[in-house]
Amino acid sequence: MSGEAVSNNARQQWLPSWLSSEHPFPWLFPASALMIVFGVYPLVYAIWLSLERKHPVTRKLTFAPTYNWGKLLGDERVWNALANTFIYTGIALVLQLVLGMLIALLLDSDRKGYGLLRAMMTLPLVIPPSVTAMMFLLMLNGSFGVLTRGIIALGLLPPGYSVLGQSSTAMAGVLLAEVWQWTPFMVLIMLAGLRSLPKEPFEAAAIDGATAIQAFLKLTLPMMSKVIAIAVLIRGIDLFRAFDYVKVMTDSGPGTATETLTSYAGRIYFGNADFPYASTIALLTLIVVIVVSSLFMKIFKVKL
Amino acid sequence: MEQSLPVRILRDIAAVFVTALFMFPILWWALASIKPISAMFDKDRVVFFDFVPTLINYGVTLLGMSRSQLAIDAGLGMGVAGTEAYDSRRAIFDSVIVAIGSTTITMMLAVFAAYALSRMAFKGREGFLNWVLGQRFMPPIAILIPLVAIYKTVGMRDTDNLIMGYIGLMMIYALMNLPIAVLLMKSFFDDVPKDVDEAAMIDGATRWQTFRKIVVPMVRGGVAASAVLCFIFAWTEFLLSLFLTTDIRTVPVKIQTFVTSTGNEWGFISALGTAAAIPSFIFILLVQRHLVRGLTLGSLKE
Repeated sequence: MSGEAVSNNARQQWLPSWLSSEHPFPWLFPASALMIVFGVYPLVYAIWLSLERKHPVTRKLTFAPTYNWGKLLGDERVWNALANTFIYTGIALVLQLVLGMLIALLLDSDRKGYGLLRAMMTLPLVIPPSVTAMMFLLMLNGSFGVLTRGIIALGLLPPGYSVLGQSSTAMAGVLLAEVWQWTPFMVLIMLAGLRSLPKEPFEAAAIDGATAIQAFLKLTLPMMSKVIAIAVLIRGIDLFRAFDYVKVMTDSGPGTATETLTSYAGRIYFGNADFPYASTIALLTLIVVIVVSSLFMKIFKVKL
Repeated sequence: MEQSLPVRILRDIAAVFVTALFMFPILWWALASIKPISAMFDKDRVVFFDFVPTLINYGVTLLGMSRSQLAIDAGLGMGVAGTEAYDSRRAIFDSVIVAIGSTTITMMLAVFAAYALSRMAFKGREGFLNWVLGQRFMPPIAILIPLVAIYKTVGMRDTDNLIMGYIGLMMIYALMNLPIAVLLMKSFFDDVPKDVDEAAMIDGATRWQTFRKIVVPMVRGGVAASAVLCFIFAWTEFLLSLFLTTDIRTVPVKIQTFVTSTGNEWGFISALGTAAAIPSFIFILLVQRHLVRGLTLGSLKE
């Protein structure tokens, strides 16, 4: 047997050692190449673009390292978009986490039929978000949307009210689609967490006469903290790039009421094609994501 | 903790009610796709089930039937414009090609990288893992705008060359899905005991032979689950496709073109939307078991 090993080594000797399958290089090279060409290079390009100024008439780029970043600091729409992005992310995260946990507790049962309910709960996750946005656009339509009609019938809104058409409620309408589609994400993760909990502490607590709520607060929550932190981190990153629902349902409007960082960058890109400024806003999004997620990972000691 | 009978019944009712609440938009959407226009836009009442179902919307979007001809056949005889703009067969083709192509690329690169990350000890391993994870954290908009400029320069836009356009979109989808595929596959490789590799290599197999003949067959389920998730993400993606392509119209982008200045074609929108969700539904039910692991990049197992 050792003879075979020798012959294998001998067969490969014409290759430099870093090209042999014993070396990590050939294994990692293809993935690295993709990440460099389509990830790192465009990112460096984006940084370079953000340091250029586009002449509005001649469309020539000139080097002006502080121009876009200065413009960004003084641009009220950027601050509005940043605030909207944080509001969107924060509200959606809280709602999804709380609803997700409650629904997970409800569906965490081994009895017959619950498996089917859990499977059904995963369906919203895989509908294309742009289609989900359309679904809610239809249901929230001011004149014939089924949800709008329901809300009006309950007397909560005046007849003919358009949820997405008013700046005060447009964000709530967009969030409805977001929460509907991604609460199941939290449900699934919380269910996985609940199912991995050990039984003994709960049995002991029951013998000591603890109520269900006490057991949840004192046992379930602390034991689930790692799972919750991971779910919040992953969901938070995705929420922060909010675009699909906003683009389809309100196109950032009315006015700039639902404009997020990504949708603002998109508007500039499709509007006056000011690539350097759009890139600068996109980079701001990246910087905020890095800062907030690093802080989160430090504070809550999460590691993916 | 055993629950008493009334509590159990209450819980069952609540569980069914909540699930039904989440299913309602899907049901409503599917109903909209088979409703005649009069039922959908009824000003006086909400029409639930009392309508004569029609497959007109599917005929136009999925089979490319002429809309005006259908209207005449149905005895509607109204002046409806018979444009071909609602025929979505090409969009479905584009979506399928891009989703399958990008999934293939992602999985090929990811399986190799994940194996090395799971099995080999080398300098920079942590760094590489962080790089992959960092890619997942990056908002796509940050690389999207320069990417459009780059594609323009090298002639990779679909308006320059259709084939290059497909490849361009596949590559960016592959990049987007790479982190989840690498980290997920690494977690599946980690599940295979290292003794398996070592035993094979003591028997004289090279790394490559061990990988191909022994380890990969053991993680086949993991490869399938990762590929399905990559396919779904590519199938449902909107932002990148919207920015990068003009002639190539994936379904999520195509459906937006049914929003016209004269009104939204809700029948066609809901028909194509329902049709687009069905492959995802089937796939997701196939990978239920690995879904949590996939969604958390391999860090939580069910």
